[in-house]
Amino acid sequence: MVVQKEFGHLWELLSEIPDPEIPVINLVELGVIRHIEEKPDHDKVIVTITPTYTGCPAKKLFQDLILEKLASKGYHNVEIISQLFPVWSTDWLTDETKAKLLKEGISPPTIGDKIIQCPKCKSTDTKMVSAFGSTPCQSLYTCNNCKEPFNYFKCY
Amino acid sequence: MKITIENKDAMSVIRLADTSVILAQRLAEMCSNGPTLEEDIALSNISLDLFGRAEELYRIVARMEGNKFTPDEYVFHRNEREYYNIKLVEQPNHDFAWVISRQLLHDIYAKELFTQLSNSPIHEIAGLSQKVLKEIRYSFMHSHDWTNRLGLGTPESNQRMQAALDHLMKYVDEMFNFDELDRKFIPDPEKLKSTWFSEVDRILGESNLKRNAVAPLSMRDFRQGFHSEHMGHLLSIMQFLPRAYPDAKW
Repeated sequence: MVVQKEFGHLWELLSEIPDPEIPVINLVELGVIRHIEEKPDHDKVIVTITPTYTGCPAKKLFQDLILEKLASKGYHNVEIISQLFPVWSTDWLTDETKAKLLKEGISPPTIGDKIIQCPKCKSTDTKMVSAFGSTPCQSLYTCNNCKEPFNYFKCY
Repeated sequence: MKITIENKDAMSVIRLADTSVILAQRLAEMCSNGPTLEEDIALSNISLDLFGRAEELYRIVARMEGNKFTPDEYVFHRNEREYYNIKLVEQPNHDFAWVISRQLLHDIYAKELFTQLSNSPIHEIAGLSQKVLKEIRYSFMHSHDWTNRLGLGTPESNQRMQAALDHLMKYVDEMFNFDELDRKFIPDPEKLKSTWFSEVDRILGESNLKRNAVAPLSMRDFRQGFHSEHMGHLLSIMQFLPRAYPDAKW
């Protein structure tokens, strides 16, 4: 995703917040934080976020983590706006973020869920065990080559 | 607390929200009762999607109504006759074939419905619908796959699927009796109906199952708040805690 240059210090600050379920990537990389606005007299910050999955249990936690992080730097008057449009997509994950996921043992999303790579041996000879996994965003796979079971980050 | 809905648009949106939350509750009942661990997780995941979808839809309802009530209040403080979900989704988890048949009939309906809603002039409905369509893809893959497997499985699984479908088909008619309020959101109700029937027939056909003719039910429309006998029992479980302990926080 494109990180907006304005209010760079706030973008940097919020990119210190790890995703609660996949701590290797942060909320900015995940594309949850869409917009940050600081009022001219520095007394208010408005953060616009978008949910990843409508039923994601971490939805409320995202907001709490953002408030906590901003409060730690003295921003106490914070408004969080949740917007659904434009619709969050795994297409927003950069190649760099995807590489981090793979390194962490989570196979990153591929267009149309087509070529799915084993995070361990990097073989693409893999098969789905269940479309639904440990979190709403993941499916269960196993590798036909090295037999390792792994999570795949679903394409949304 | 008496919950009212004044706005006509809100009345149409709450039907979608109620359908999502009631099906979510039915699937939540399957948590720890699935035939395998993977299936347990799958049904719980789909339930979670539906709860999330319902929550977003109740937020839209609340905004249209000037935030007089919260999503939780809509869910926990309305009685049976104040709920506007399709009767299909309140039907019980009689056996696994009922769960899958109900999912299949619902998923195809939801797929067509949210496809049409994704062009809504109301931005938040269009945005939510586009999101919902991504989720339905996975849910439909699941119900489609299981319909194939049960239909083409053993004589017992085929017979159970057919029995479930024969029962659930009784609740299909009302899904397409769109009124003036619905038509404002659904540009092509005829197409929705014809696509639903052809898609259902296609999948049943490939699964060695049939859509048998059913006698029409003499039950009034869900749009007026009429339900089957199962609805009250479902609500009594879903609503017990917030009604018994009104200040409970979670």
